[in-house]
Amino acid sequence: MKKLLAVALVLILVFSLSACGDKEESSGGTEETIKVALCLSGAANDQGWNQTAYEGALKACEKYGFELAYTENLTAADIASTFADYAGAGYQVIIGHGYEFGDPALEVAANYPDTKFIITEADAAADNVASYVMACEQTAYVEGIIAALMTESGKVGAIGPIQGDSLVKIVNGFEDGAKSINPDIVVKSAWTNSFVDTQLGKEAAQAMIEDGVDVIKHCANASGNGVMDAAVAADIWCQGDSYDQSSMAPDNILDSALYNLDVVLDIALGTIADDTFVGEVYNLGMADNAVAMLLSDNLPDDVKAEAQKYIDEIISGDLVVERDYTIRS
Amino acid sequence: MLHDILTVSFLTAFLSATVRLAVPIIYGGLGELVAEKTGILNIGMEGVMLSGAFFSFAGAWFSGSILVGLACGILGGMAVSMLHAFLSIRLAQDQTVSGLALNLFMLGVTSFLYKYMSMGQSYQKIPTLSEIRIPLLSRIPFIGEAFFARDVLTYVLYALLILTFVFYKKTNKGLSFAAIGENARAAASAGVPVHKYQYIAMMINGALGGIGGAFLVLTQLGVFTENMISGRGYIALAAVILGRYKPQGMFAAALLFGAANALQIRLQVVGIGISPYLLAILPYAITLIALIGAVGKRSEPEGLAKPYLKGAR
Repeated sequence: MKKLLAVALVLILVFSLSACGDKEESSGGTEETIKVALCLSGAANDQGWNQTAYEGALKACEKYGFELAYTENLTAADIASTFADYAGAGYQVIIGHGYEFGDPALEVAANYPDTKFIITEADAAADNVASYVMACEQTAYVEGIIAALMTESGKVGAIGPIQGDSLVKIVNGFEDGAKSINPDIVVKSAWTNSFVDTQLGKEAAQAMIEDGVDVIKHCANASGNGVMDAAVAADIWCQGDSYDQSSMAPDNILDSALYNLDVVLDIALGTIADDTFVGEVYNLGMADNAVAMLLSDNLPDDVKAEAQKYIDEIISGDLVVERDYTIRS
Repeated sequence: MLHDILTVSFLTAFLSATVRLAVPIIYGGLGELVAEKTGILNIGMEGVMLSGAFFSFAGAWFSGSILVGLACGILGGMAVSMLHAFLSIRLAQDQTVSGLALNLFMLGVTSFLYKYMSMGQSYQKIPTLSEIRIPLLSRIPFIGEAFFARDVLTYVLYALLILTFVFYKKTNKGLSFAAIGENARAAASAGVPVHKYQYIAMMINGALGGIGGAFLVLTQLGVFTENMISGRGYIALAAVILGRYKPQGMFAAALLFGAANALQIRLQVVGIGISPYLLAILPYAITLIALIGAVGKRSEPEGLAKPYLKGAR
């Protein structure tokens, strides 16, 4: 038994060594290719926040001829070491998708001055760190308006995952939008404290539904899939996030807030391609098509027209939506 | 605010949510209890449940039958537990290391397989088990709705709990199984086939953990999402400790955890401003307090996580 194991281990060692050898040889010829690493907090096929980033990065890398690698399901504790792994492995560009990647990026970037870090939704900036903040509060504001126009009970709700800046601004934007239509509207909010706990997302939505809420907006990634499910089961309205989520609730969805990471990452990786990278915090909104509203056909025509009016105002700059990071409760 | 909470409809809904949130924990906890009684600590319960969740979803999706899904979930859970059993019984490896490794391993395996399965597909959803109301019992105020207007998997769980209780309390076999965890060598010298019983216990561990994961998919959500167990496997371990290694104690502890979670999410909706972070640590805080309270009266099996080697001293 032991001998067999030893032989197997030796074989594995030999094979892995020879595999390494191959890699080094072949990489000699393709040294020009810029290697990009994408770091995600969830699954690359979550039909939400992470999938839009993965698809966006894929598209941008194809366009600029970069090579893409990605790591999923990163928790706060793993981010810095994953960054360092990629930087150490010679990746020239590392993308962190979400506000929680900002601080670890600053930390690691200081040790790897030749690696460029691109972070979404953070306020981190250094010589080799650039952040791209999307104006998700603009889409949330319009969603609040839609929710206020559609509710019959006068109660609407928003469910978020973890109380980070980029999520708090969505819930606040939603509330502000709803109250701009009807100051007396009741806006409930709940946080599942998890990006992946789908059952708890559903329970949160169910608690709201039992309380009389009849339109629910979520921004809770996979946890939010449970929200959509609860809305379908109770046959109330729901509003999707990040991605076209109409397939989750075809008859109950009002709209999806789209975060066009393909636009954002195209801009960001474009600065790498033409060597104009500057470590700053960039703001991109509806006017840049970084965020957009996808209105469902479940919306009555008059509500659709009303929503479109506000969208146009935000794009033209006539309506400025306040970005508020304070946790209201 | 209190008048919002102390209403019949709020309490009824709250108790129902408590049971819904507790059932996966109770399944996992019961499986863990059976394993730990024979001295095997399976920290890999999270991975067992995740495997059960994924394979029940895949089985139900491809066959179109919930029953096939459930069978796949049980087998998926058992596969992980048997791997742990082989490592900790046959190879006498460190059970903590093996269990933790299995959790990480299964997160990778299920995510990989799910990606493979959902590639290019639109949203995949399966029908879920429907509610069965038990006549009379379901009309008891408060608890009737919560405990007796549930699905078939929850009712099976009640039966299993009673069965486990009777097994350990009243039967010789149950005593033999529990003796292994206390002192495997003494049990062996009394003629108990230690390793065989440990393997049987681990099969039950896998089957129950598998159902616990499958419950989320087959009765609650109808979808699989990566890492969807989100720590319920660890909470199940805590429930066993808090319940002092007794089925009835574990049941109460799991209900407490379910209630804490159901309450925190409802308090947020009612608008009581307690930080969700604070509420999220509640189950862990309770477990820690329980552990402090348990000083002096050890209730865990004496031989927990100690491998038994025939003839070794």
